[in-house]
Amino acid sequence: MPIRILSAHVANKIAAGEVVERPASVVKELVENALDAGATRIEVEIVAGGRKLVAVSDNGCGMARDDVLLAIERQATSKIGDVDDIERIRTLGFRGEALPSIASVSRFRMVSSAAADGAGTELRVSGGTVQDVREIGAPQGTRVEVRDLFFNVPARRKFLRTYQTELSHIRMGFMALALSHPRIAMSLSSDGRNVWQLPGGELTDRLRDLFGAEFANRLRPVSFRNGVALSGYAGVPAAARADRSEQFFFINGRAAQAPAIGFALKEAYRGLMPADRYAPVFLFLETDPEQVDVNVHPAKREVRFRQPGPVRDAVIQGIRQALGHPVALGLPSASGPADDPLRNPAASSRPPQPRLTIENLPSARAFSYPANALWTKPASPVVPGESAAPPVSAADVPVAPADGPAAETEAGAPWAWCRVVGQIGDLYVILEIEDGYVVMDPHAAHERVQFERFMNSFLEGKIQTQGLLMPETVALSPKDALLVRRHLSLLRDMGFGMAEFGGDTFVVDALPACFSGASVKDLLGELAGHLEQAGARGGKGRWREEAVAQAACKSAVKARDSLSREEIERLVVDLARTEMPYTCPHGRPTLIHTSFKELHRKFARG
Amino acid sequence: MKVKIERTALIAGLQMVQNVVSLRSTLPILYNVLIRADKDSLFLTTTDLDMSVRCQVKAEVEKAGATTLPARRLFNIVRELGDSHVELKLEDNNSTSVSCGSSFFKIMGMADEDFPPMPEAGDSAAYRLEQAAFKEMLRKTHYAASTEETRYILNGVLLSFREGKLTMVATDGRRLALVEQEIEFPKEAEADMVLPSKAVNELLHTLGGEGELSIRAEKNRAMFEYNNVAMSTKLIEGSYPNYRQVIPPECEERIAVDRESLLLALRRVSLVTTDKSNATKLTFAKNKLVVTTTTPDVGEARESVPIKYSGKQIAVAFNPEYVMDPLKNLSNDELYFELTDDLSPGVVKCDMPFLYVLMPIRIT
Repeated sequence: MPIRILSAHVANKIAAGEVVERPASVVKELVENALDAGATRIEVEIVAGGRKLVAVSDNGCGMARDDVLLAIERQATSKIGDVDDIERIRTLGFRGEALPSIASVSRFRMVSSAAADGAGTELRVSGGTVQDVREIGAPQGTRVEVRDLFFNVPARRKFLRTYQTELSHIRMGFMALALSHPRIAMSLSSDGRNVWQLPGGELTDRLRDLFGAEFANRLRPVSFRNGVALSGYAGVPAAARADRSEQFFFINGRAAQAPAIGFALKEAYRGLMPADRYAPVFLFLETDPEQVDVNVHPAKREVRFRQPGPVRDAVIQGIRQALGHPVALGLPSASGPADDPLRNPAASSRPPQPRLTIENLPSARAFSYPANALWTKPASPVVPGESAAPPVSAADVPVAPADGPAAETEAGAPWAWCRVVGQIGDLYVILEIEDGYVVMDPHAAHERVQFERFMNSFLEGKIQTQGLLMPETVALSPKDALLVRRHLSLLRDMGFGMAEFGGDTFVVDALPACFSGASVKDLLGELAGHLEQAGARGGKGRWREEAVAQAACKSAVKARDSLSREEIERLVVDLARTEMPYTCPHGRPTLIHTSFKELHRKFARG
Repeated sequence: MKVKIERTALIAGLQMVQNVVSLRSTLPILYNVLIRADKDSLFLTTTDLDMSVRCQVKAEVEKAGATTLPARRLFNIVRELGDSHVELKLEDNNSTSVSCGSSFFKIMGMADEDFPPMPEAGDSAAYRLEQAAFKEMLRKTHYAASTEETRYILNGVLLSFREGKLTMVATDGRRLALVEQEIEFPKEAEADMVLPSKAVNELLHTLGGEGELSIRAEKNRAMFEYNNVAMSTKLIEGSYPNYRQVIPPECEERIAVDRESLLLALRRVSLVTTDKSNATKLTFAKNKLVVTTTTPDVGEARESVPIKYSGKQIAVAFNPEYVMDPLKNLSNDELYFELTDDLSPGVVKCDMPFLYVLMPIRIT
């Protein structure tokens, strides 16, 4: 069969297959064009999940008549000039593929006006063939209408899902665009109904407009700079969900995924929650455009970094810092939007006034907690702006909150006071706190307390080692033995009296005092397992020590059934003192909080 | 079944058996007490399947028979009754009427046939000894037993009947308590058994001050008979570790200490420790024992106890609970600490066949 050069028409249809996958990609391309055109207001209309109509209107710079015609030619773009520009892409689009691709698979109408005098151009294209070009009166800006998408590509049309599915894809895409450009007023309407009407403002406003104030309360500002600038918000572990639908990354203003970021996120939240949960994150990464290759995927969904190292570090450290933030993590106070922590982080670091204090409680069931030094550092909130102006520089200066002294309160524990209600199922502990109730898993809590206590005494060099009357010998599998042998000196430093006993057998004659209840056999198995996992992950700093401590906690904390009231109170106080009270060292949650607000809603008390 | 019984005797009987009653069980009948009237006695039996206790109480039996009733409920009712005598009468449908003076109760129970039978001891040899002596031996050792479920063999007290004496041992691998008593039994009856902690606590609770105790052992069960009580318990199976080898043959220094003053000193200094296992340092110097604890962020405490000592100075750290346990359970005025250095095991002895070994804590 002879080889032929494909006609432009066929080439456009093929390109459309890559760029225009479904109505959501049309929305994305058109809104990105509008943003590149400098619009401050963008309206998106959808009919029938985008199958009937996708229309995007903006008040951007618009196009003159010649440009309107050129715009639907392939590889025609105003965004780059020569090949070097590809290396420094600052605009969202650049390939010059979008409009011709869309126009080739739909009934396409574009009205654009570059002048304020109302003179504009109307262009109609059907299935890639120009039908009509004429003068028309129009306001400045561009309106693109895409009707009957894929009307001439039945194969594609068959793959479109239900209206609802397509609409939800459009909403997700729109959300990402809205988040990346909070200063631009944007609206989305579907079948004539208003879905979102977003005024331009700060990112905080946009997050609240899109997700609600309650959700916004569960976010902590992120700000980190190490060659790349990272800003945005990270959700507390308690806000995690089972999918990634609330994880957004913007690389130089572009919503994108990168393998390096996915890894880094997992690492940042490791130990804070189970591996199959995903905390909401809204991260804005600003880096030298030359460091990012966006030209990997036609829809630009995935990017690559030339040097992923700094990006990874920024994400891990930025999120870790943010979660150590002195705000009542994961336990939103019943505050109105007035003291939304995103607007004024200091507001929520002030503990709600206890309605009951120790004095006016009849028994010693309620007690307040000592302040935690780590949590009383003044907040250094970040107010991320839009991508064009990296906000990180502002973050280096702590923003003085309006009500200054409140910022350095004795916030401390996750709650200002609590009352032990009791234990249910011979396991879970119920606590009443100022704005709701908390269910605590005492095993997980105990592990967290032991873990931090042990790590602290290790870091202070004050490990107490309890000798064993009867040294125990444990035979390990060759693989486990190898791991234990390799870390033998570290284990000794950490208070484990351990020596080789020939072959793959070890003899243990002393244990750290706080784990002296542990079963030696279980312990060695756990140690090997944890060292292996941690080793495979790689990591920095004290991963070996932490792996050892985690293993020890796991085997030392035994499943006790019922706890006395005093034991529970002791545990609650100890847990409140820890740095990371919300999860056990392995990432299982220790506390589940339910607010009275939620209860009121469930009981329909309005 | 129809019986008349003195109220106080019934209360005492129920008190003897009700500790064994499960607080949580999937078998509802285990919440009940088996009541059997026969000849001139009422027999009250409870079980948790591992352990059964039966108590015999004098009663006027009008009509023999048996039933089971919720143990706790029955006990609470009988305790509140006003008159001196109680009448129990089995009605139909497993319900039993309880009448006492002007009070009348009708309590729903369950059929006695469903109650797990109490294993009876065979004709194995019985060890006989004084109840009080046996109870004292348990008291001096039981606290050292392990509560760690993975080391089940240590979750009880070893009773070793050998060479004309009973040796009782408990250990959790960090400290060990041992006590001995000579008793008479035939050579062929030599045996070791490990009594689970629950049975030990029950014996400590119900053994009286006077009278004889007989112990019969079979392969995996032991039966204790004393006063009007019979108790049958499962034994922990497995081989107990060789405890002899952890006892240091000799120590360099032997120091006499007043038990009461050391116990009070330890109690006071442990007030500044937040964690029970926090090490307490004992410094034995010339004629003075100094006890100190330090807890970061809390504070420190120091106590000194006069002793008669002129040997080398020894400073050694222990888990304070481990030191206090034997002090609380012994009654001698004077104890002896035998020590070598800060790393070797310490030994506590007194003027009787008692020995307590504990491992020090090293502070790096």
